[in-house]
Amino acid sequence: MSLGVFELRRLLVRQWTRRPGRALATIFSVAVAVGAVVATWVSADASRVGYKSLTSAIEGVPAVDILSRAGGRFEASDVPALAGIPGVRAVVPLFYRPTLLRVGEKRVREIAVGVDAERLVAIGMLELSAGRACTAIDEVVLDENLARSLGKVVDDEILFFARRGVRRMTVVGLAVPTSLRWFGEGAGVVLDIAALEDMSNALGLVDRVRVALTPAADRKGVVEAAGKLLPDTLVAEIPAGRAAMAEDVMHSADLGLDFVTGLTVAMSWFIVGNAMLMNVTERRRSLSLVRLLGASGRQIRRMITMESALLGAVGAAIGVAAGLAAARPIAAGISRSLQAPFTGLVVHPAIIPLSALMGILVAVAAAWWPARQAAAVDPLEGLANAPPPPSPGIPWRFVGAALVLWAFATGMLGLVILEKLPPRAAVPAGIAMLLSFVAMTPVILPPIARACAALVPRRFRIERELALAQILRQPVRTALTTGVLVVAVSNGIGLGHAIRDNVEDIRGWYARLMSADWVMTPAGTMSAAAEGGGAGPRSAEEDVRAIGGVDRIDVIGIAAGRVAGGACVIVARDVPDDAPLPLDPVGADEATVRAALARGEAVAGTVLARRLGLVAGDDLAVEVFGRKTKVRVAALVVDYTSGGASLILRRDAAKRLFGLESADVILVTAKPGEAAALRAPLQAIADGRGMLLRSFTDMKRFVDGIVNGVVGSLWAILGLGFLVGSLGVANTVTMNVLEQRRTLGLLRAVGMTSRQVTGVVVLESVLLGLSGAVIGLIAGLTTALFIQIASQPLLGHPIRSTLRPTVILANMLAAVVVTALAAWIPARRAARIDLLEAVSSE
Amino acid sequence: MAILRAVHLEKTFAAAAGSTAGVMAIRGVDVEIEPGEFVAITGASGSGKSTLLHLLGGITRPTAGKVILEGVDLAAIGDDDLALVRRRRIGFIFQRYNLLPELSLVENVGLPLVLDGIPEARCDAAARAALETVGMGHRADHRPDALSGGEQQRGAIARALVTAPAIVLADEPTGALDSENSRRVVELLRSIVADHGQTVVLVTHDPGIAAEAGRCIRMADGRIISDTLQPDSPGRPPVARQAPAHRGKSGGKRPGRKR
Repeated sequence: MSLGVFELRRLLVRQWTRRPGRALATIFSVAVAVGAVVATWVSADASRVGYKSLTSAIEGVPAVDILSRAGGRFEASDVPALAGIPGVRAVVPLFYRPTLLRVGEKRVREIAVGVDAERLVAIGMLELSAGRACTAIDEVVLDENLARSLGKVVDDEILFFARRGVRRMTVVGLAVPTSLRWFGEGAGVVLDIAALEDMSNALGLVDRVRVALTPAADRKGVVEAAGKLLPDTLVAEIPAGRAAMAEDVMHSADLGLDFVTGLTVAMSWFIVGNAMLMNVTERRRSLSLVRLLGASGRQIRRMITMESALLGAVGAAIGVAAGLAAARPIAAGISRSLQAPFTGLVVHPAIIPLSALMGILVAVAAAWWPARQAAAVDPLEGLANAPPPPSPGIPWRFVGAALVLWAFATGMLGLVILEKLPPRAAVPAGIAMLLSFVAMTPVILPPIARACAALVPRRFRIERELALAQILRQPVRTALTTGVLVVAVSNGIGLGHAIRDNVEDIRGWYARLMSADWVMTPAGTMSAAAEGGGAGPRSAEEDVRAIGGVDRIDVIGIAAGRVAGGACVIVARDVPDDAPLPLDPVGADEATVRAALARGEAVAGTVLARRLGLVAGDDLAVEVFGRKTKVRVAALVVDYTSGGASLILRRDAAKRLFGLESADVILVTAKPGEAAALRAPLQAIADGRGMLLRSFTDMKRFVDGIVNGVVGSLWAILGLGFLVGSLGVANTVTMNVLEQRRTLGLLRAVGMTSRQVTGVVVLESVLLGLSGAVIGLIAGLTTALFIQIASQPLLGHPIRSTLRPTVILANMLAAVVVTALAAWIPARRAARIDLLEAVSSE
Repeated sequence: MAILRAVHLEKTFAAAAGSTAGVMAIRGVDVEIEPGEFVAITGASGSGKSTLLHLLGGITRPTAGKVILEGVDLAAIGDDDLALVRRRRIGFIFQRYNLLPELSLVENVGLPLVLDGIPEARCDAAARAALETVGMGHRADHRPDALSGGEQQRGAIARALVTAPAIVLADEPTGALDSENSRRVVELLRSIVADHGQTVVLVTHDPGIAAEAGRCIRMADGRIISDTLQPDSPGRPPVARQAPAHRGKSGGKRPGRKR
């Protein structure tokens, strides 16, 4: 179809120039829809960047590890060249060994890491606060906190206990602790890798090769690409640790963002469809006249389609620009809430062309129904100048569409629950479920609208009847409007419940895990397994015990482990008999869990259990730093450490089974009223040991900050839905006013005041809002249930769901307020109807 | 041979809300229109005269019966074919002119040709020629809202003629005009019949205007109650015809006409 054969183009252009408002309204709707999609998409990307930044803040540098499949050390030369894989920043062989440092009379148990320090410094991945990188066999770089606690500076000497005896080594540099995190695994001493291997009689061997990635790299993609290159003896995997937790959180949030983006696209369809319908309905008379003069239905359809494509293209161009402009403050806000620096919008190259194309396609697709309506317009309508006739009966096509969508949604959900499909498949399923509710709107709207109208006081009877009649007159158009509201409200209610339920689950877990007044953590994030007794954090624990006013100390040790060929986290913690169980067992009572832990058995996080198909009573071969031990899983617990891929034991059992006795986290509970008094002595101990001291309130604030950031970013995007929904309502109510010109004019002629006319229009809008909100409530609660069921495979445990009246009321109120505000312009238009023109229009 | 023929024509409108029975607007009408005739259909409001005109013009479809234009049954063809017939073979004139306000007069007149895919230059030339015929050539580039009612109606007549249709159907074409403009419009219609041999069917409830036609069909309650030739009327066709006497009924019975 080209403009050359587009017979009615002149009429179309004249219509645009004569009534630019109508064309502009359509362009505006497309712009709003495309803008909403662009803003949502870019904001969602900003959230993802924020999450990644959060990951980096926790872990330092995102990475993938190359490990021996059989466990233990392996030849570094077995690792093929991996630098060519997209997203790979550096390939770093690592060699760890526990050691003992002697400084004067002080002995400190530490982990030493062998690495090509000179190269890491050169490429900016190891930052020194003083001195230079170690290169010779008798040179070390110390964590600056460790150096301070040992009282050492550059050029000082320390004694290093190695397999070949004691070596005198010179401190040549001090490392910034955060720059050690991504490869140090808690190590405070850095040596040249060849020197450490030589001292350990393991020349050429490494514990792992850490492949550092760029922030935007796709970890799973790198794992897959590396896996294809590696020999059978080696395996690539994402390191376990807090980053994995962040990654799992990100994965869940990713699904949420995908869901919201998908819904925005669906919503944009309703808005553009509504605008196109309005555009066509307003011109019914001239279209019917053209039909009367001999235009075929095909010609009318072609005219409407061409118009929608042209207006869609203009609207899409404006929408892209507006969306990018709107995304900037939203993305900045999201970055702020995720505590990530905002360095400008990250716009995926596909966003702009795809959004623009979507605008045009959605406009053309949305015009399909109005074009059909226009082509079928009765030529007599043009002569009678009457409003279009009401649609009779139940729109069975919509019922059929709803059933098909519902069947698709439940089928997909079923496959997700059965793990035949990945959790991401729940996104289109959720959207289909929501759309099925929208498709049912023409059927369920009349009784709901009548019920809502019954709430209107009797003195507004005339206004109520007029408003209700107009709403029910065009169920399809009303469905398009309420569809936007249904999506917005059900989004708010559904995701609102799901988010709150998830957040409370995380907070509940955190409160059980970290029930204390003060929390002490080392500068690093995770310790390697330590051997034997010694100083270091352990002595910090003893120092804390010596302070008066301490009621209880809980110590948690964390180590990276491997189980069934995958990464997991070993958590060793005190489980005092006189305190509440700091775990949340699933399907087991506390007494059983306590007894099993006391026997030296472990409990497994639900995600780990789901991944490995574990049940209580299974025996597992667990490897920690090359040491394989069989552990019995006594029960499953809700745990978000490492995204739930954790194995939790009592400290005494962890020491016996793995030699793990590190104290990575020390939780200090003060005696009543003594919490504040403990700050000074605890701070002194922390300073002396290179540890961080935070109050539980600070920790809670930190975690809350992260959680609120994730929640806030979703709410910000959901808020767009209501804004966009209000435009749809304004469109429909304007259209209704145009159709009611004669009726409203006659009513004005017989004495209805302009205020009463305004009342009719506002009431119509509010009834639409209320009806949409009620249907949205039903859809929202279903969505919440849907999300809860769909997230089970991801979390490995059911989330307790609570009915939240505040979330429901807030969303429904927002729908009503937004629709009442949206009626303002059409209501003014209605009040200004020219009586003479209105009564003589037939 | 009749150019337009209605056979046992019936039209029932759907029941209004709250009512079960439909409204039967046309009850078994049979009528034939010969080429070059100037026919007036008269009757009181609600007698069905406009509905009959709409049925004859393929604007609405009959509930029963046939409308045969130049051998084609309009009730039996699809929507798009019907649109094609309206575009090429029927010219319409309405009481309210129904010019598209967005287009200039010449564009309005050329619209049926544009819809037919005829190149713009030819459409423009044909439209201007049609406007000259009705004495509106000097107002060709004005918008409808800049014209008087009489001028708009003459423009509408030009639009009805531009495709050289088989028949022109006019629904109360003088209903919105003052007497002077009414007279000019009727003269124009009469002249296109007399000078161009055009067939015109006109609906009016003005006996004075009906008297100008060569044949007058009177309707009541959806039926033809009389169908008479008017020998002395200025609109009488060149070949003299004899009108049948009023039979007082038409339901299912074709009104006979003597030539």
